[in-house]
Amino acid sequence: MIMLLTGMLATAVLAGGVLALAALGEVLAERVGVTNLGVEGLMALGAVTAVMTVSSVHSPWVGLLVAVLVGAVGGMVFAFGAVVMRANQVLCGLATTFMGLGLSTALGHSYAGQPVETTFGHVTIPLLSSIPIIGPALFGQNILIIPIYVLLPLAVHFIMFRTRHGLNMRAVGENPAAADAAGIPVMAMRFWYVTLGGAMAGMAGGYLTLTYVPVWSEGMVAGRGWIALALVIFAGYRPIIVTLSALLFGLVTALSFVGQAHNWPIDPAFLNMLPYIGTMAFIIVPVVVWHRMRRVMAAPAALAQPYYRDVR
Amino acid sequence: MATHAFQRLPTAPAGRILALRLVAIVVSLCIIAGVLALSGHSPAMLAELILRSTLGSRFGLEDLALFMCPLLLTGAAVTVCGTIGLWNIGAEGQFYAGAIAATGVALGLHGPVLVMLPLMTIAGILGGMAWITVPTLARAYAGVNEIITTLLLNFIASLLTYYLTTGPWRDRISGAQVSTQRLPVSIPEMWGIVHWGFPVAIVIVVGLALILSRTRWGYEIRIGGANPEAARYAGIPVRLRIISVMLLSGGLAGLAGMFEVAGTVHRLQGGMANNFGYLGIVVAVLARGSCLNVIPAALLMALILDSGIVMQTQQLSASVILAITGLILFMIAIGDELAHYRPVATTQARGKAS
Repeated sequence: MIMLLTGMLATAVLAGGVLALAALGEVLAERVGVTNLGVEGLMALGAVTAVMTVSSVHSPWVGLLVAVLVGAVGGMVFAFGAVVMRANQVLCGLATTFMGLGLSTALGHSYAGQPVETTFGHVTIPLLSSIPIIGPALFGQNILIIPIYVLLPLAVHFIMFRTRHGLNMRAVGENPAAADAAGIPVMAMRFWYVTLGGAMAGMAGGYLTLTYVPVWSEGMVAGRGWIALALVIFAGYRPIIVTLSALLFGLVTALSFVGQAHNWPIDPAFLNMLPYIGTMAFIIVPVVVWHRMRRVMAAPAALAQPYYRDVR
Repeated sequence: MATHAFQRLPTAPAGRILALRLVAIVVSLCIIAGVLALSGHSPAMLAELILRSTLGSRFGLEDLALFMCPLLLTGAAVTVCGTIGLWNIGAEGQFYAGAIAATGVALGLHGPVLVMLPLMTIAGILGGMAWITVPTLARAYAGVNEIITTLLLNFIASLLTYYLTTGPWRDRISGAQVSTQRLPVSIPEMWGIVHWGFPVAIVIVVGLALILSRTRWGYEIRIGGANPEAARYAGIPVRLRIISVMLLSGGLAGLAGMFEVAGTVHRLQGGMANNFGYLGIVVAVLARGSCLNVIPAALLMALILDSGIVMQTQQLSASVILAITGLILFMIAIGDELAHYRPVATTQARGKAS
């Protein structure tokens, strides 16, 4: 039983990391008022470029860096359309996903199915990893776990809610006209945070192929980008809650693994549906059960609205 | 205002949209040609080959019609949803649900074709509707974002198709992978391999255009989409209209799945939706909310898919088409926004005169 729990939690932490990164990036973009529906495509691009880089450079760090850069460039392309040109955000996001998925498959064609040789190996922190159940899951995994689950969310939380810059950033998402009047550079803020969000989506893709599923195959991102988008809504656009819900979500994924490993009398196809069904429950049930949550967890007021300085 | 060279208008004139879209498509084609040239292909040769084997051959034209058939219906599904201001990103899943329901009827019941085809059609429509029920209710009663709920169901539908075609309904006769046996009934063909679903789809799209523009229901939908608050104030039951529109949308996508399974593929197959659901979004965007425009938009999209087949014969991955579609969609989104702008010189002149 202990073994089962340990294994499940370890898988949950590993699987949740992908979502935590992508969802945290999306929190940044949505807090400044931009919905980036291109996360899925940017993750695919990050995943494939990480594999391609590692196969020639043999360093997971370089692979992750390239994935981050590719995500940033993809985020900039999206931001060019959605922020600079102020085109429809839903369309630009979908277009980014199409481009990302198509390009990643075309690029990774000759890498498909080959195992990634150099990945982030296990790093065991001596004392902490011997804590029963949570020890191996949190302190006996790859080196990225602590930054993903602790450092990044805390840093984003601090900047967003404890600094003047964070206040400006939230103002851009709530009321860009007022922010503009107060001298906050609305467009620059939006552009760079969307780019940063894209970089984190790319990193999530790189993390996916460099730790979790060390092989590139077409369709391997499998909706994780969309799940990350749903988690942002579920978490009410809050950096720490979004990371915790990514972990909760990793548990749902781990459940389907456990089911398959223990030969539960359920077809694997149905177990594989669990993450998607879980996500739907995540975003529907809370709104239905706790009506008041809707106001507390509301989206930034100017979300998905382009800002025109001279049309007010 | 005078400091800006351009002024943004709330609505864009149709002529300027069309012109900027042509520019957008030309720019996309230039980028694609550049990338192809860099990767060692000859764009001019490819272009000639594509034109010759799509519009220039009977085989290509038949394929064009076959591609158009599902795109007309999924495009209409997204368009109808769009008139009330909602995005149905789940046409892919509803397509599978419709195909599954129609296949279930075809494999489970036996009867003359004249009975079976209407039954399968009804099953397909109901399948698509059933698949959008949860997002519909969540949207109408709890205000849950429909983009994500409809989309997540795509993955579930695809997994369900996989389960059925490798499990209970797997092909026990020819042993084909991830596929059911050939269905005992099919939609009759009218021209080569083009089945009667194609003209029916066109009739449906035209009919929808009439319903949306001429009936009270259609009017209420459009008001509900343009200004939900005003619609509610005017006594339009917006919630009921949302439910009816979303169910209609799901039904249309389900019908597309039925046509595809009974007319083109003749068996339920994993991956048979072929991104038609997602491409329906592109078709709807191109159509800009008008059902009649869905026809030329579906034609353009079908042309791109048809070219994709040619590109595959030239050692280019099939997924390149998805990237190209994304690029064109991106450019058109920008072009549509630019169409809202006009040079501000005229307003300045007017300002001086008064």
